[in-house]
Amino acid sequence: MNDLTRTQLDCEKSLDELSDYLSRDRTPYDESIETCPECLNALEALERLGPLSRDLLAEDAAALPPLSDSWIGRIMTNIHREMRSGRSVPISHSDPHVTVTVTEGAIRALIRAAGDAVTGILVGRCELLGDLDTVDAPITVRVTASIAWGESVPGLADEVRVQVYRALAQHTQIRVVSVDVAIEDVHIAERGDAPSSEGERP
Amino acid sequence: MIVAMRARTGKTSPQSLTAAGDVILVARAIDGDSLAFETLIRRYAPIMRAYAARIVGSPAEADDVVQDSFFLAWQRLPDIRDGAAVRAWLMRIVSRQAFTHLRRRRADVPLPLATLSSTDSRQPEQVAVRNAQFSALSAALDRLPDDQRQCWLLREVAELSYREIAEELAISPASVRGKLARARASVGADMEAWR
Repeated sequence: MNDLTRTQLDCEKSLDELSDYLSRDRTPYDESIETCPECLNALEALERLGPLSRDLLAEDAAALPPLSDSWIGRIMTNIHREMRSGRSVPISHSDPHVTVTVTEGAIRALIRAAGDAVTGILVGRCELLGDLDTVDAPITVRVTASIAWGESVPGLADEVRVQVYRALAQHTQIRVVSVDVAIEDVHIAERGDAPSSEGERP
Repeated sequence: MIVAMRARTGKTSPQSLTAAGDVILVARAIDGDSLAFETLIRRYAPIMRAYAARIVGSPAEADDVVQDSFFLAWQRLPDIRDGAAVRAWLMRIVSRQAFTHLRRRRADVPLPLATLSSTDSRQPEQVAVRNAQFSALSAALDRLPDDQRQCWLLREVAELSYREIAEELAISPASVRGKLARARASVGADMEAWR
């Protein structure tokens, strides 16, 4: 609170009072404020300060020098030191002295790549449910995905399922018992990744 | 002998992930997809830099604060409750980091607040009015006490709820409401001088 905010309008209301009133979402209804043109003007001006602050920050952001690749690169380098690789999944090898493992993180990357390869699909979460530490244990794969606007959900979900099965069979020894695909978001396809039913887009 | 296998990343590049919504990007980043995280950085770093610069005063220091915020965000990402709310979540982190930075610096060497210029080279006439308004607001925000400025930015720019701000600052929602009312009145009075 300062001297200025205590300054009264000609109708004798102060900015403090009006700002409090706004903070209470204009309840309970105050007739002396709601019927006074000067108060209403001031309320409107005060209400504009929020949106104006957002615009100011957007303006600040636009005026800043663009992000440099080296700035982003520094973040990425630090992040790579802390990769979340998850469990190590054994892979059998003809030579018993050789231990081959593949990280859970690499398997998830494989699943994402297989799903993303389906036009109109962007994979989200990948979960491997089951005992990954044991060779041949049954594993359920659960995948969430976003679908491009205008694409058929059942068709693409099936395609993702097929591609994920195929990729896992080709590159790992995991015994996949099921692949569950949940479409949980919609995105607007970029050019080059356009849905087949172009005309149905808004 | 241990042989680690790395899956090839296929066709996915930051470019093709730009269409993905926040929920998908957050899910992938939690799973360890650094490209998804990079896409989030490119999406939200600009507003986070501006936000931090409002608090610490200098764009260069703001860039350091935002970088630290993203390291922290990567570590804490698995704790995020709602991927759709990642913007507000990141803004909370950058707000906290910026104020921590500010307190540390003030305890150290006091620096004069650098003025952020919001210059715009387009249509000088229309832009002039807007710029005058922006610089009045900018000065008014700079004059607010730290606690009010913090509440104001969390509410109006980070778009947190009263409850979230209260939780963030460990104060009561009623006191958040009070600080916001004070801030609004002060900024309004300052802007009045311009009008």
